[in-house]
Parts: sequence; structure tokens; C-alpha cells
Amino acid sequence: MRWLVLAQVLFVLGVAVAGYATAALGRTVVLRTRPVDPRDLLYGDYVNLRYHVSELPGSLWRGPAMPRRHDAAYVLLEPQPDGTYEAAGLFPDKPAVTGRQAVLRASVQDVWRRGIRLRYGLERYYVPEGMGRKLEQRQSLRVQVSIAPWGQARITKVDMSPE
Amino acid sequence: MSRKLLETDGQEWVQQGIITEAQREQLLALYPTDTAAIGLLPLLGSLLVGLSALSVVAANWQGLPELVRLGLLLGALCGAYAGGEYFRRRGNDNLGMGLLALGLILFGASIVLTSQLYQLIGYDLTGLLAWAVAGMGLTWLYRSRLLFLMTAVISGIVQGYNTGQLGAFSYLTAAGTALGLGYYWWRRPDALLGGVLATGLLWQAALLISHLHVKITWFFIPAMLVYAFGDWQPDRPAGRALQGPPLVAAFLFTLGLALFGESDFYAGQLRAPLLPYLAALGGVLALSVVGKQRRGRLGSLTDWLLLLPGFYFTGGLALAVATLVVLYAYSGAVLLRAHQEQNQDRVTLGTVLFILTTAVAYFKLTWGFMDKSVFFLLGGLLLLGLSWWLRRRAARTFSASSSTKP
Repeated sequence: MRWLVLAQVLFVLGVAVAGYATAALGRTVVLRTRPVDPRDLLYGDYVNLRYHVSELPGSLWRGPAMPRRHDAAYVLLEPQPDGTYEAAGLFPDKPAVTGRQAVLRASVQDVWRRGIRLRYGLERYYVPEGMGRKLEQRQSLRVQVSIAPWGQARITKVDMSPE
Repeated sequence: MSRKLLETDGQEWVQQGIITEAQREQLLALYPTDTAAIGLLPLLGSLLVGLSALSVVAANWQGLPELVRLGLLLGALCGAYAGGEYFRRRGNDNLGMGLLALGLILFGASIVLTSQLYQLIGYDLTGLLAWAVAGMGLTWLYRSRLLFLMTAVISGIVQGYNTGQLGAFSYLTAAGTALGLGYYWWRRPDALLGGVLATGLLWQAALLISHLHVKITWFFIPAMLVYAFGDWQPDRPAGRALQGPPLVAAFLFTLGLALFGESDFYAGQLRAPLLPYLAALGGVLALSVVGKQRRGRLGSLTDWLLLLPGFYFTGGLALAVATLVVLYAYSGAVLLRAHQEQNQDRVTLGTVLFILTTAVAYFKLTWGFMDKSVFFLLGGLLLLGLSWWLRRRAARTFSASSSTKP
């Protein structure tokens, strides 16, 4: 019994430590969201986010054959002049990075002739009560994401983009 | 016998001369009043204090520093488990189990709230899976029906979240539920748990079928596997309880087929590839038959009538009629067996099924009359005949049992 409870406590602590460590040790990138249908944006105590990098053209794919649903994919991110990051390539395996590039792991949701829809596990942002309405009024947001060296990513901050 | 019955009726028995006053007192002494292990008022009081603490925390949750929130969650978690263990040691099993169950709920809440706290929402469901695993561990450790029930529900939630939100089916969760809880039920057969387990497994099977986008008739392969498992269970009532949900599903399905099977469009939606489906169903049937034979229950083989794959039939109207025949055969068999077993509850069940079938047949009749009016008449005659026969049989059994008395 004692071990079972201890294991549960350690598990919850593990989740917390992973959260801390990702923010403390990770690389920070800023992603832009697409304008979201306001009705979809606010969903209870979290907002649904759709990023510029959530839908990528198929020409960015750097693998032998097009990916299939639920496959893993690695997105190579490069900084833009305005400080945000955009996708430079989409790989089936983790690519090597140089300089200010970063890699974000995703899972393929949908593939069609010209594009690939991806899911990063960063599509929800839990907001303090009442904040959601304010976020909802903005068309596009800047989301600050920390990517840990072991690949885990979490949102650390959500900014309002200059319109 | 309960003490309450003695207290209320005892005086009357004395007056009628069945027992003497002294005997009544002796009987009463055999059943001492239950001493409540914990007073109701302190329990209510602590519940209110707990609720107020909860509301204070909930109202200020967003404003609390992260570490305080984490500490509160873990403190409540440990407190619930420690309290549960303490009360169980003192012999107060109900309160102890209640607190342990609370601990399990708090574990799930801690995982979810901590993930939200750090904005961690991965695409894997390790966190939720850990919740189900913890429930499984507690169930085995404490041999508790309540924890078994919760684990079945939690596994269903985990699977539902996984297929609904993450778009993947967790075979690990399904296998864990089937093996972990299934083996527990096998070792400690219980009617209620059998029903809960079967329902939980059918839910996951239904999620799998909808996730795979295959014909819904494939659902009956895992469902009847659950049923066959019940055949092997030596404990008869527990086995029957496990077989309840699959049979309900099969009966409702057949009822639907009788109603809408006439349209080849609907029937076409049900046609899984013939050979693989029949092979799989046949395999499960063989498993079930061997189990029934081993436990001497071959009489319940009529349950499989509901699984006749009539939807491969392109007959249209003929299919609907054939399905009605099957339904009548099934509910008639239930009635017959219930009567042979002298089981009042099952007689009621059989009657309900028979009436339901007749209602469906009647519904069909009002649609396209002549053909099925004969059929409806047959059902009615059958019902009348059966009721006459049942009454006669019941009367005979009654007179037989009364004549054996001196």
C-alpha cells in the first residue's frame, strides 16, 4: 500500500518536474497562431490554438514517401525577422539543427494533395478565469513555447500580437 | 433474520402462541443491535468542514502559487489514503474504502490539474493510463468491489478520452482492463461486478469499432468473447451477470434488424466480409459451446440464436420475417428455460422479451399488413398457448409441492 501511494505521489511530482524542467532547460521559440473562429476559440477554461505551423504545404516534406495519419513528424523551425518562428522543413526523423533553429515534434493528423495538418500537443492553453474573453478578441496571438532537449514542449506564455 | 422483523412481529408470534415470551427474548438476544462504528453527527460535521475547505481552495485556485497548489493536491491525496488505511485498520471498512476511493479520484484530479498547471498536454495518455493502473493496483490490494467498479469506469473514461480527443485507440488500456479486471472477477466471481465488467468491456469494444470504421457487426466478436468467458465461469450467477450486457446488445440489435432489416440499404451497412466474420464468430461459438459443455449448461445454447447473421440475406421482407422468427424462438426459449428452472425473475424477463418481440411484430404489421398478419396471429397464439401451458404447469407444480406436505 505504502509503495502504491508513494508511486502515485512520485508520478504527480514527475509531471510537475517535467513541466519545470521543460521551461528551465528548454529553448524558447515564439509561434504565431492563425486567426481562429471566435466561437471555437474559447472552450471552457482553455482556448484552442491553431498555429501557422499547424498546416504546412506538402512541399516542405523531406521524407521518401508522404506520411500517413498518426505518423510522427519533426518540424524544423527557423527564426523570422519579427522574432517569431516558421517551419523550414518537415522530417520523418529528428533532423540536425544549426544555430538558432529548433525542432518541434508533431503527429500527422491529415494528409491531402497539397498540405499536411499537424498536431503538436500545444493546441490548448489553460487560462485564468475571464482571460479567455480577452484572448478571444484578438485575431492572432504570439505563443511562447519551451522545447526541452528531450523533445517535450510546453507553452510558457501567450502574448497579444501587434495587429 | 433481521432484528427489525423480530422486534415488529415478535409480539404477534407470542400472542399466536408460536413462541413464548422467553423464546422471543432469547431470539432477540441472538441479534444484538449494530453499534454504529462512527457517530453520524461527527461524520456529517467533518464532511461539512471538508466541503468548506474545498470551496475555499476552489475559489482561490487560480491565485495560489504553483507550489502551494501542488502541495495541496499531494497532501489531500496522501491524507485520503492514510485516512482510509487508518479507518480500515480500526474495522470501519465502509468509511475506509470510501476514503481510499477518494484517494484514487484525487490521484486522477492531481494528474489532470498538474498537467494544466504546467500547460503539458502531450499526445500520449501516459498520465491517464497511470490513473487506471493505480486503480487496478488498489483493486487487487484491497479486494474491494467499490474500487473494482471505479477502475472499470476509469478505464472507460481513459479509452473514451483517447479515442475522442487523441484519435487513437489504446490497446494497452483495453487489454489491461480485460486481463486485470477479468482475472480478478474470475477468481472472485460476483454478479454485480460481472455486469459492470461486461459493460465496461463492451464500451471499449464499441469505441474500437467506431475508431476502426469497420462494419458495426464486428462489435459482436469481442462482445461474444465476453459472453463465452461467462460460460467458463464456474459460479453460475456471476457468469450469467457477465453475459447479460452482450445479450442485451445482441437482442437490441436483432430487434433493430427486425424493424429496419427490410431495407437492403441498412442490411448492406451490416455486411462484414462474409468468410472472416463467420470464421471469427464460429471460433467464439466453439469456445462458448465447450465452456457450456464443461459446466453442464448446454441448455443456454439458445442464446446464440440472436447471433444468427441474418443480415447477409438479401431477401428484404423475408429477412425481417426470419428475424422475427428468431426473436420469437429466443424469447420463447428464455421463457421455457425459466419455467424449467422455476426461476420467477427469469419468467418475468422472458415475458417482457416476448411482449417486446410481439410489439415489434405488431409494428411491422401496421406497415405492410397481410403478410405479417398471419405471423402476428402466430405470435399471439403462441403467447396464449404458452401462458396457458405455464399456468397449468405452475398449478401442477404447486399441487405437487403441497401434496408432499403431511
